[in-house]
Amino acid sequence: MRRLMYEARAQLASPVRNPRMATVIGRLLGLAFLLCFGTGLYSHFLQEPLSWMVFPTRPAGLYQLTQGTHIVAGIACFPLLLAKLYVVFPQLFVYPPVTSFAQFLERASIALFVGASLVEITIGLLNTYQWYPFPFPFRQVHFALSFVIIGSLLVHIGVKLPLISAHWRAERTAGPPEQLRAGPTQEGLPRTRGLTGRILSYIDATPTVPARTSRRGFLATVTLGVATVVGLTAGQTFTPLDALNAFGPRKKGVGQQGVPVNRSSAQAKVATAAMATDWVLTVASGDTERSFSRAELAALPQTDVDLPIACVEGWSQMASWRGVRLRDLIDEAGGSPDSDLRLISLEQRGGFRQTEMGREYVRDPLTLVALELNGETLDLEHGYPARMIAPGRPGVLQTKWLSRIEAIDA
Amino acid sequence: MGSEAEVALPSRRIRVARSVLVAVGVLGLGLGAYVLVDSVALRRLPGLALWIAGAIVLHDAVISPLVFGLGVLTRRAGHRVAGSVVVTVQATIVLGSLMTLIVLPAIAAQRQGPRNPTVLPLDYAANLGLFWLILAVACAAVSLWFYLRTRRANQRPSRIQS
Ligand code: HEM
Repeated sequence: MRRLMYEARAQLASPVRNPRMATVIGRLLGLAFLLCFGTGLYSHFLQEPLSWMVFPTRPAGLYQLTQGTHIVAGIACFPLLLAKLYVVFPQLFVYPPVTSFAQFLERASIALFVGASLVEITIGLLNTYQWYPFPFPFRQVHFALSFVIIGSLLVHIGVKLPLISAHWRAERTAGPPEQLRAGPTQEGLPRTRGLTGRILSYIDATPTVPARTSRRGFLATVTLGVATVVGLTAGQTFTPLDALNAFGPRKKGVGQQGVPVNRSSAQAKVATAAMATDWVLTVASGDTERSFSRAELAALPQTDVDLPIACVEGWSQMASWRGVRLRDLIDEAGGSPDSDLRLISLEQRGGFRQTEMGREYVRDPLTLVALELNGETLDLEHGYPARMIAPGRPGVLQTKWLSRIEAIDA
Repeated sequence: MGSEAEVALPSRRIRVARSVLVAVGVLGLGLGAYVLVDSVALRRLPGLALWIAGAIVLHDAVISPLVFGLGVLTRRAGHRVAGSVVVTVQATIVLGSLMTLIVLPAIAAQRQGPRNPTVLPLDYAANLGLFWLILAVACAAVSLWFYLRTRRANQRPSRIQS
């Protein structure tokens, strides 16, 4: 067994498998993970704010940017994580596998880190495809694992800190890079017979590529890998890349009235209630309550705004909306724009049937109860008869098929 | 990478930073575990554990050996050509596989029938085929360039690695 491990290490010695490369790729991966973690937390708290939280409403495309970044950095994790694992592959064969309890804990935390990271990015990607073939809920697990990952990442960085700081700059690793390659060379290896021996000698006879070519090639491959996966998908949110969007789960301009749809009227089972002629939007504040028919809403002063729909799944679409300013409507109904609101949809069930909106959005002049989209009456799929549209919020909170707006008493 | 032991004893600053990182990290792990148990039904956890273990096994026992074997095979097959050409071919295979890995689930999800027509609206299979084609052409062009460069450098048809 020991000899086998020994030989495996010899064959695995490759010019890219050294602490310097592990540091270089690790830094990029760490950056991508932190970007994902930060933007992910932002998205989480927008949806589930703690009571004291207030969010910026400008720039209006803020959430478009943060969640777009989440998915872009997230998809960049695929080449980066695989590259990192490639570089440290020989560590799998360290012999003896465990020397002390502390080292056992360290290896266990790395195993957890690798497994949790792979699951995190995989379910994240599958969620953007709206495909859930896993036996657990996406959002809760994706959220909890993010702490597990960042925690085990910090432990890992802490343990490796001396090594990382020694290889942070290229200059410090002076001397021929070959010296970085630890591990035995081929000559001193014991021979193995039989099939294993044949395979091993086949591998031994494999010509090597010059170290410099191999290192440059590796870095070029990782760079191109990140550029490719990002470049060919990010067009679903970053307009300049739209023409290159060959693999994004959404395409700009594809959908009713040129806007993609997340939850359809069929899923939400709202068609009958939304098309009913006696539909009204009720605005309640304290003891006063007023209902507006669609014609009454249309008779109030109308405002035009350009705001993006930005989905938690990372796609976004700029659109032109026309409707009643929310704060004017609240005013009209005798409420105060300084209280938080509860928004209720015609939907009978679903996690976002009833949501809350902080006063910073209520006050904002860009926030509308929209009646029109891109110059036409709002399509049923986009929330007819009336929907909310506010700056800097995720699409799930831009309530469609509005039914009732209530002031939450402070 | 056995050089850990060779790194000199860490300085005081590094030791402090290290303790802080490990302590915060352990707190993060604890928080993650708490959030998990708090928000996910207990009967779902074995499934999650299975996925995490499965991911490790899939990577360590399937993907890594495949990549390793591929490295050996391409170098073997290309032992007469310049190293840069071998690396170009390897990069092509890696890039194609990477994109395939990311796009295959999209194709599978599309087959299952998206929840509405604006989800997964593109022809992902055709685009993936086209992507491989473009990769292959680019690979041939870059290889040819490396080949000509090596040949010019050697002043004769090259049979030697650069
Ligand atoms: C290490 C990498 C990652 C970390 C640390 C991370 C972290 C997070 C966090 C904390 C959230 C908020 C969850 C919540 O709202 O409760 C989130 C949401 C999300 N993440 Fe990630 N993520 C990572 C990678 C990815 C990847 C690779 C993708 C997809 C390609 C992805 C897709 C998503 C999506 C679609 C959401 C929105 C979920 C929702 O609100 O419904 N994530 N992420």
